[in-house]
Amino acid sequence: MPDPATPPLAGLRVVTTARGVAATYAARMLGTMGAEVLLVEPPQGSKLRREPPFLPGPGVVSALFAYLCAGARSYLADLSQTEGQAALNGLLADAAILIDDTPLAERAPIGLDEESIGRRHPELIHVSVLPFGAFGPKSHWRAEEITLQHASGEGNLLPNGLSVELFPHRPPVKIHGHFAELQGGIAAALGALTALRVREEIGGQFVDVSSQDAALAVGAFAIQRLGDGSIEHRVERSFRYGGVLPCADGYVELLTLEQRQWEGLVELLGRPAWALDPALADSLERSRHGAVLNRHIREWASTRNVADIVSAGQAVNVPLARYNTPADVLRDPHERHRGLFAPVAVEGAGTLDMLVSPFHFDGAPLPLRAGPPALGEMNRHAVEVSR
Amino acid sequence: MKPLAGIRIADFTVHNAGPFCTHLLSQLGAEVIKIESAMRPDMFRKPHPVYGRMGPATFDQVASTKLSIRINLKKPEGAALSKRLVAVSHLAAESFRPGVMGRLGLGYEALRAVKSDLVMLSVSSSGQSGPDAHFAGYAPLFGAWGGLGEMTGYADGPPVEMRHVMDHTVGMNAAVAALAALHHHSATGEGCYVDVSARDVASSLLGEALLLAAAGSEPHRSGNAHPRMAPHGVYPAAGDDSWLAIAVSGDEQWRALAALIGCDDPRFDSEAGRKAHADQLDTIVARWTSTRDANAAAEALQAAGIAAHASWTTPEIAADPHLQARGAIVTVEESGGKERAAVGVPMRLSKGPEIGIHRGTPALGEDEDYVYGELLGMTRGERRALEEAEVIY
Repeated sequence: MPDPATPPLAGLRVVTTARGVAATYAARMLGTMGAEVLLVEPPQGSKLRREPPFLPGPGVVSALFAYLCAGARSYLADLSQTEGQAALNGLLADAAILIDDTPLAERAPIGLDEESIGRRHPELIHVSVLPFGAFGPKSHWRAEEITLQHASGEGNLLPNGLSVELFPHRPPVKIHGHFAELQGGIAAALGALTALRVREEIGGQFVDVSSQDAALAVGAFAIQRLGDGSIEHRVERSFRYGGVLPCADGYVELLTLEQRQWEGLVELLGRPAWALDPALADSLERSRHGAVLNRHIREWASTRNVADIVSAGQAVNVPLARYNTPADVLRDPHERHRGLFAPVAVEGAGTLDMLVSPFHFDGAPLPLRAGPPALGEMNRHAVEVSR
Repeated sequence: MKPLAGIRIADFTVHNAGPFCTHLLSQLGAEVIKIESAMRPDMFRKPHPVYGRMGPATFDQVASTKLSIRINLKKPEGAALSKRLVAVSHLAAESFRPGVMGRLGLGYEALRAVKSDLVMLSVSSSGQSGPDAHFAGYAPLFGAWGGLGEMTGYADGPPVEMRHVMDHTVGMNAAVAALAALHHHSATGEGCYVDVSARDVASSLLGEALLLAAAGSEPHRSGNAHPRMAPHGVYPAAGDDSWLAIAVSGDEQWRALAALIGCDDPRFDSEAGRKAHADQLDTIVARWTSTRDANAAAEALQAAGIAAHASWTTPEIAADPHLQARGAIVTVEESGGKERAAVGVPMRLSKGPEIGIHRGTPALGEDEDYVYGELLGMTRGERRALEEAEVIY
């Protein structure tokens, strides 16, 4: 069994010229699993350093940058200058993986195009992460998170359930944060490790990842349904009953997919007369009467507290979950037990608990090396070493 | 070449998240052998009334490119047969509730006894350890526990249920972790046990909000608003239920948009000014978008250097030449000859053009001649006896 201090990607060097969320997250994923991540930043620093939301306090400390770049090293290089390009090539000589999101048109002039990198570094895995990929008629299109969500399907399909019931005429609502871009990052990490698998045999290669493709891939269900002959829509795709339940002090999610879970729900509700109607023993009948069921279930939930509903529900095997706030997640005893968070120093904001990784290897959480790097700390370190 | 050629996966996963993981690995070249039983077919092979539909749910997509065999895991001989398969595999994947594999006699230690360098992957709602490890969960519950549901939605409305994208991102994350473990195996010769918690994957998608909470802030859902950009949102386009997403970053893009829509209000000159008057700005932008075709307007905005995209419905996505050119949307043929659109593996490899879906949904037990006959060297008689004993069943 591997030493817990030796995470699975130990010994691997990843260089990234990432400017955006997708490419940066790809590097983060590899970094939390043990790879050494070198973030090459322009002289003014990554734009992500200036991207809100900012941590509370007097300084301008981006929570986004801190999360995405925790554990990375920062190397300052001006890639518009030949010295900067030479420095980057020096770093790449010792690297297995390059993750780059430079817009296509800007690549060749600074030697970051597929051909130049392939020629100089034939053993390097060159991962390109762009909103619409490096190939295809829309590869030059601009995107921000919200436009990506709408280019890849889920944007048009949310909200559903209670939210769309309450606000049927509002514009669709996006998933929080950077969901689609993060899918691009996850796909890029997958692509990097896929190419790594055959690197010894066939050398490096160019991996072309598009956040649109990645976000679409996780939205596969809608495409599947299209093949079945039905078009998903945010109104119609709501669960027939259950879903988001407003309680006296918050919200819970209820979802009973199996017969025994429905039977547990009837118990949880205290076996009311309406639920004992023999017709409702059949799952299709329940589906047909979803609106009526929901009226009863919501009335029942509205006077009860989340914690009471959840603990009583779990006792009778009814799938129920509290809608946790970020603060709830942070102090959740389960997550504390799992070691989901680790304290790291965030310059300008003190020591903060930061999410490490959703993976455990050999029963142990992964370590987080450090917080986000100071700008160019690696250059300073190199200067000090050479003295 | 297919990069994962030579990797064999004994696939015990069910439902959605786990099967999507092995589906991705199968498209990259791994030989994935899906284990089911007529006693207990994958729940997603069956009709699903709670979705208001009678056909199988996502099964066709995630079962593509896999091989299918029957093993009745409830029988001790079924566990023994499973071990024979694991012994010739590199990776075993499962997504039952924690503890189930152990009770079936197929826990990590039991499987390592037949394959000492096995990589084993478990995908579950809350992970294999911790007070909530036994919780049953589906995508909307992972999203709720993990905080993504609470943080998604209109600022004045309820939280929003995460649907299949939540399952599938868990699957894609799990595929990354599995490949990391396989890399570790290549480097050291050692197997390992990979435990992926779906609710923790949900949380990993809001790491910045969790960090804000750790620093004492109280982040709240904010609809389509962005903390910096304005205009930023989903605007009505011409036609019924037609929308256009626009995000304007920086003054240069704003000036381009302002010229396009004919707006010269000085309040909007700076990003801070635009953010402060975002509501009025939204009204002005919506007035311009509401008479325009969403796709045509998106092209005009892109030509002016502004991030914009029509809010695409599924048929629009399936028909898109760009996604088709990239292999992100492919056409697959079922065993009955019926064609349908499917989603490809989200990457293009310069030295691996062969990756992707190569066959549709396997029938239950379709590949037993290969797996039992060729791979495990079982005789007809041996197989027939196990069929009669309802082990291969």
